[in-house]
Amino acid sequence: MIVAEQKPLEEIRQIITPYQRILILGCGTCMTVCDAGGEREVSFLHNTLRVAQARSENGSHTFSEYTLKRQCDPEFLDVLVDKVADMDAVLSLGCGIGVQAVAERFPELPVLPGVNTSFMGTTKEMGVWDERCAACGDCRLDETGGICPITRCTKGILNGPCAGTKNGKCEANKDMDCAWILIYKRLESLQQLEKMRRYYPPRNFRTIPRPKRIISKANIDVGGGNG
Amino acid sequence: MYLPTINNTRNYRANRMEKPLDHSLMPPCQAACPLHMEIGEYVDLVAQGKIMEALQVIRNDNPFPSICAYVCNRPCEDACQRSQVDKPVPIRALKRFAVEFGGDRMIQAKAETTHSERVAIVGSGPAGLAVAYYLRQLGYPVTIFEADSEPGGMLRVCIPEYRLPQKIIDVEIQRLTQMGVEIRTNTRVVSLDLVFDMGYKAIFVTIGAHQSRRLGIEGEDSPGVVDAIAFLREVNLGLKPSVGERVVVVGGGNVAIDAARTALRLDAREVNLVCLESRHEMPAFESDIQAAVDEGIILNCSWGPRVIAGDGKLTGIEFVQCTSVFDTEGRFSPSFDDSIKTSFAADTVIIAIGQVPRVPEDFHLRIGRGSTIQVDPVTLTTNRAGVFAGGDAVTGPATVVEALVSGKLAASRIDDYLQHRYPRVDKEARERLTGDLLPKTIEMIRKTGRPEPPSLSPEARVKDFKPVELVYDWEDAINEARSCLRCGMGAEILSQDKCATCLTCLRACPYHVPYLDDSGTIQIPPEQCQACGICVAQCPATAIVLRKPYDRRHITEELDHILKSAAESKSKPLIVGFCCQYGLFGTGTLAGLWREAKAGIWIVPVLCVAKVETDHILRAFEMGAEGVFIAGCGEQCARENTASWVRQRVEKVRKVLAQIGLEPERLQTLVPDTNGDPAEEVDKFVEQIGVFYLASVIMQEVKR
Repeated sequence: MIVAEQKPLEEIRQIITPYQRILILGCGTCMTVCDAGGEREVSFLHNTLRVAQARSENGSHTFSEYTLKRQCDPEFLDVLVDKVADMDAVLSLGCGIGVQAVAERFPELPVLPGVNTSFMGTTKEMGVWDERCAACGDCRLDETGGICPITRCTKGILNGPCAGTKNGKCEANKDMDCAWILIYKRLESLQQLEKMRRYYPPRNFRTIPRPKRIISKANIDVGGGNG
Repeated sequence: MYLPTINNTRNYRANRMEKPLDHSLMPPCQAACPLHMEIGEYVDLVAQGKIMEALQVIRNDNPFPSICAYVCNRPCEDACQRSQVDKPVPIRALKRFAVEFGGDRMIQAKAETTHSERVAIVGSGPAGLAVAYYLRQLGYPVTIFEADSEPGGMLRVCIPEYRLPQKIIDVEIQRLTQMGVEIRTNTRVVSLDLVFDMGYKAIFVTIGAHQSRRLGIEGEDSPGVVDAIAFLREVNLGLKPSVGERVVVVGGGNVAIDAARTALRLDAREVNLVCLESRHEMPAFESDIQAAVDEGIILNCSWGPRVIAGDGKLTGIEFVQCTSVFDTEGRFSPSFDDSIKTSFAADTVIIAIGQVPRVPEDFHLRIGRGSTIQVDPVTLTTNRAGVFAGGDAVTGPATVVEALVSGKLAASRIDDYLQHRYPRVDKEARERLTGDLLPKTIEMIRKTGRPEPPSLSPEARVKDFKPVELVYDWEDAINEARSCLRCGMGAEILSQDKCATCLTCLRACPYHVPYLDDSGTIQIPPEQCQACGICVAQCPATAIVLRKPYDRRHITEELDHILKSAAESKSKPLIVGFCCQYGLFGTGTLAGLWREAKAGIWIVPVLCVAKVETDHILRAFEMGAEGVFIAGCGEQCARENTASWVRQRVEKVRKVLAQIGLEPERLQTLVPDTNGDPAEEVDKFVEQIGVFYLASVIMQEVKR
């Protein structure tokens, strides 16, 4: 799941300053799960902005709110056509993908980000999320016991542990587990410790072209007859 | 100031998906109650200290709540889910509390006559009284014919004073008279034709089951042998029959227990109760058996009477061992072992082995099994046109509440008949809640030691006929009412489509109720949910709601109401308090705030502070509140960690307040027992808000 964090109120208020009528747009998928832009957060932000406006007695925004099931696919956005008709801007609480999808769908409308998209991760406990994947495009989890050194090692090194590990913790952050010690223990319990001996050459991240695209459909010409 | 509109555009697909209706399930107590009373509703109102409202709810379903509050056999408590945790909610005692403290006897009943067809009721037992009550409400002129000198039937002549004081019946009868019911006592109906000749269009026959069964053994007609109904009638009509020192009661049912306990309150020194059944087979209600034992009545189970000895004067009664009462198919067919014998010396033998109706032959009614009147189970009609029957005369000896049900049903059937309508068969509106609590749920439910309803000590009881069961005091009643688990009122996922399956509910639930099913969908089993509302307030998709519409909108409505009132009164500074309305906290500690309406403090009563959402708090600030406090009931709470949820939400709002430029101290939680006296805390808080308010006014002046 994609994890994000709502922007500070001050920043949001600044971003929306030029616009009068604003639709606060939530997302019912990842942003709901990470408490950044689900229906409850949309409503909370809506109320907060109104209180802030009422209290400071400056600004004359009018807000409305709506939460989509998902912002990142254009088909979900069709219901917005009527809703954004008389809006000056959309404040999207979707992740970066959602913001862009809405912007792409409504080219004439300013779409503002309400959250900082942070990482791909998992829920550790209620209200705590941890990063787990960097989307590097070259997964080696089979060789590291299902523990990703790119995201979970502070240095992202491929041949660990480094000399900075102490009592299983990282030198950069003493509260954090050393990912390579975790990998070692996991491989040990899998009886695959020989994988620790391998050497992985440094990766050249520059070779990964951006933006990436995945095509899973077969490249068949639809009009090609039945031959 | 910007005035918000109520959010009607939020909730994607809400308009189509929202199910606006009541989704609460019928709790087991209500399903078990023959009258299907709204038990959860009135118990909850008692828990809030709203006794008058509770009585109102009770009266909606029960024509004679005072009578039921004394004598109901409380099938509801047998079904109560709470008994899986510790002890059932003492529903009857709470009803008694509501009728006594809510002033049931002061309530006036009125009825207008809108129909001309007169209805005659033969018999004034509970079924007859109920049918009169409901027919009168429907607007029919009603006459009750009673053979005895006092109306009330079995209530009057058979239930001893210590269980149901006569004055309670008097109040109900008086209320019926007020409604315009004509009651003719000392009037035995010998022929239904005569009643029709008098101009009555319909007759309801409810003559009860007053005829005692006979043992059919030698010596049964000796002096000193009485049947229990005749005995109880004598006592209830104020005669004090002498029973001698040693009394033997034959029988194991409720009448036998009543007779035994009554004998003990007369001049008996030793009362032996002898019955065929073994202890656990005795048909009497367990609580009554226990009360009898407490008072000193000696139970002798599994004995069958053989011969009553005496030569002109009763000397004793002999029994043989009863080896089994029922045959393999559960039919009554006692077998005896004649070799094992026992005998009791007795001055009086009271026979209480059951009663049957005695229907006069001139009624020309078809009689079925056990001498009862045969009726159609749906229409309650007998073999004669316009003649209906109900109560013990149809069912054989049954409970008071069952008689009331039969009366209530008969009234609507008689109405159907007189208005030439096809009888309507009511479908049950609500689905029933079924299923037991899981051990993991039970483990997390806060246990309360239920204080039994107060009662007289056994020694004090047997001296006279004073009522045995007393009324709870205010504190115990409210605390007991709070132990209700709110079965069937819990949370549900409004639409699975909206649920993001984020698992917040699963993680937040204090009772471990929500679970992921095999298809990866969150389920909230209704029989486990305790309706605390925590998941509802936490769900990031706002996909969870409480099953009762009132519970869903309660806080918002109350908040809107007080904000409107506050805007009208223009009092400054405005302070909003979300206060737990449950328990003694709601009615006691903070009641002062309500009544005095202390300068600027407006209270939003909430049914558990765990239901207060961040949006509620923000809305108060938006509408101009200078300060907001949330006061929970602390140690009295039915749950363990309500306060921690409140604090989390408060912290979230405080952070936002700081970003807006308001002092976070404007929002406070007050939890008694950790903060000290809440009233004092509120005073301090008000003072502080006053300072903030003054400062902000000065700042504005300076800006200008």
